[in-house]
Amino acid sequence: MAFNPKTPSRHRSRSETKTPLTPSLISGLNSLRFESSPTKGKAVDTTANPFIQSQSRPSSPIKRTTSGSITVSDSLQKQASGGVIRKGGVESRIDVITRDYVPPTKSEHKRSRSQPSRDTRDRFITSRDTADEVTATLDLLTLNPQSASPGHTARLAAATGVPLNRRILAYHEPPPASTSDSMLGKQRELVRPLYARPGALPNSTSTSSKARKISTQPERVLDAPGIVDDFYLNLISWSCLNTLAVALVENTYIWRADTGDVVHLGEAPDGSYVSSLDFSNDGSFLGIGLGSGEVQLWDIETQTKLRTMVGHSSQIACLSWNKHILSSGCGDGSIWHHDVRVAQHKVGELLGHQGEVCGLKWRSDGELLASGGNDNVVNVWDGRVGDVNSGSRSTARWTKRNHTAAVKAIAWCPWQNSLLASGGGTSDATVHIWNTTTGARLHSLSTPSQVTSIQWSPHRKEFLTTHGYPTNAVMIHSYPSMERVIEIRDAHDSRVLWSALSPAGDVVCTGAGDENLKFWRVWEVPKAKKSKDLKEVGRSSTSSGILTIR
Amino acid sequence: MAPTKQAPTRQAITLKGSTNLVTEFFKYAANTILFQREVYPADDFHMVKKYGQTVLVTQDLALENYLDKILQQVNKWLLTGSITQLVLAIISKDSRTTLERWVFDVNIVEQQPTDSSEPPPAKPESEIQAEIRNILKQIVSTVTFLPAIDEPTVFNILAYTSQSADVPVDEWVDTDPHAIEASKSQQVKLRSFSTDVHRIEAMVAYRYEG
Repeated sequence: MAFNPKTPSRHRSRSETKTPLTPSLISGLNSLRFESSPTKGKAVDTTANPFIQSQSRPSSPIKRTTSGSITVSDSLQKQASGGVIRKGGVESRIDVITRDYVPPTKSEHKRSRSQPSRDTRDRFITSRDTADEVTATLDLLTLNPQSASPGHTARLAAATGVPLNRRILAYHEPPPASTSDSMLGKQRELVRPLYARPGALPNSTSTSSKARKISTQPERVLDAPGIVDDFYLNLISWSCLNTLAVALVENTYIWRADTGDVVHLGEAPDGSYVSSLDFSNDGSFLGIGLGSGEVQLWDIETQTKLRTMVGHSSQIACLSWNKHILSSGCGDGSIWHHDVRVAQHKVGELLGHQGEVCGLKWRSDGELLASGGNDNVVNVWDGRVGDVNSGSRSTARWTKRNHTAAVKAIAWCPWQNSLLASGGGTSDATVHIWNTTTGARLHSLSTPSQVTSIQWSPHRKEFLTTHGYPTNAVMIHSYPSMERVIEIRDAHDSRVLWSALSPAGDVVCTGAGDENLKFWRVWEVPKAKKSKDLKEVGRSSTSSGILTIR
Repeated sequence: MAPTKQAPTRQAITLKGSTNLVTEFFKYAANTILFQREVYPADDFHMVKKYGQTVLVTQDLALENYLDKILQQVNKWLLTGSITQLVLAIISKDSRTTLERWVFDVNIVEQQPTDSSEPPPAKPESEIQAEIRNILKQIVSTVTFLPAIDEPTVFNILAYTSQSADVPVDEWVDTDPHAIEASKSQQVKLRSFSTDVHRIEAMVAYRYEG
């Protein structure tokens, strides 16, 4: 520290002696200033620099040469090649120093010849006080080529890897903040399932599905102008005689699948509309439920109305036949059994729903009746009870409240009597499979959207579901693995509301609010029946279990 | 015979082509860092096929434009050879302390003066791409050792240029190096890649108070 408390004049005199140490000290000081020159003083930066830091304090200029700068100059000294510094250059700079020391800070800046007019502020003047924050790299910043011989500089630069003469620049504006803040992200997350169309998941990888190719195009499309786009109605039915009944507002049409003929069966009374349809088990009679609460019975062969059964107070949303009993589900939550043979047609009433009954299906053997309601409840009723005497009230054999939305889709498994599938509406979108003997829930399957109908395949361990917005899909699932066999996206342009299975069990007809009926050949009839055509299959199946109503 | 025909068929051997290649690399590297270090929410990024792998690129228009503006200037500096280093600093939003510095050194590859008139064998582009891919992969893998950042952060891109560089007035300003104190930082050198003109060396320094 011998040279530390020096006056400017002594600096000068020292330098004139040309001891190797002092010029390099001064050059080190010079380099400090030069280093700061590129900043143009635009900003007082927070970078810590010990040398200037002391300078910024109200101290004498001499104190600037603190130990920090000595180390620099030492390092320079060590690496300087024997003090090869041009005499004139050094001395001229020394002169500048002496002159400039009078107003210390200003004068220092003036020395940066490359930038003659400068702001008095220095980017290395720090606002921090802690010497800790000085980085090693910043020490290196003080190396400046203008302070030493070119060769020395180059060697230094090469040795330390510090780029010379550099400016650190940043774009004038800060980077934009993310437009999606966490709040919005969370909301987006929550709302996503509502309008996301979940990517088509890979279908079942089981060998059975690989071996099978299911056409994703409908085999046939029929126009159904004016069909009511109402989730709660049941407007198509396919009989075992291979005729399809469809209701278009107040009109009912019969389409014979064998011939393609269309017959206008009848019209609902003025001010009312057809709200449900169901073919009797033998296919000769059609039950029609009306919005007014009437239940009509029509003969298909003669296309005449046989009788009208009144009594319900509101819309009949669903009908189901069991032999001579026609059960009707009403908007008030009641289910009536109508014996169509007798004048006093009401033979039973089942009260178990608080909301509208929108799904109703008899098991094929007539033992059990399943119903689903707008109150999210699935009921299974003993079929024999309601049949006993008129007015008898029965309670459900069991009641399930697992669904969280209206249960419209109800289907009995044709090859395993005890299996019942039920599917819930938009906020539920789940299919539950029940063992009706024990009342146990066997399987659950969540789907992307509301379940509007379910059809079991008679020949395969599979079932088909139809869906509403947003996928408008027809899907086939295998049972009991519940794997997806196929998903036909956008089967219709709007939500698929109804489905009906052909008597042969190979074609499914779907109806939707886009006023189309589409026929999908999704299952094939097993080989044994292959020789017969579709019509004969239908006939043969009916002839075995033909029933007469009268 | 057409000895004068020296049409550069591949981009890596010309200065301009190499510059574009390097600029493009900076874009994807910056995007990868911003995604991996969660400077911007993952929602903002989408996957893009690049360099034979998927790279996550922001789809936030404002950020995209911002990066584009910066890289356009970087491209100009690369062309004139006046940029020596590009630094992406990740800074705590609240305390304004620098947490990470991603440093990309830009070196000009010195062409070996060859006696013969033919140029040295050009580096195949597939090799360059493989090198870039390796850097990007390395950036992704740094997540495993970099300290987890659990505070909101912002980033800043610093360009180290030579004194003589042309600087668009009012767009680029001199700034603080956003250095991390040597005693509190650790550095990891990443891979590098080179074209026939440029050599990019990557390095990450992060605040680590062990």
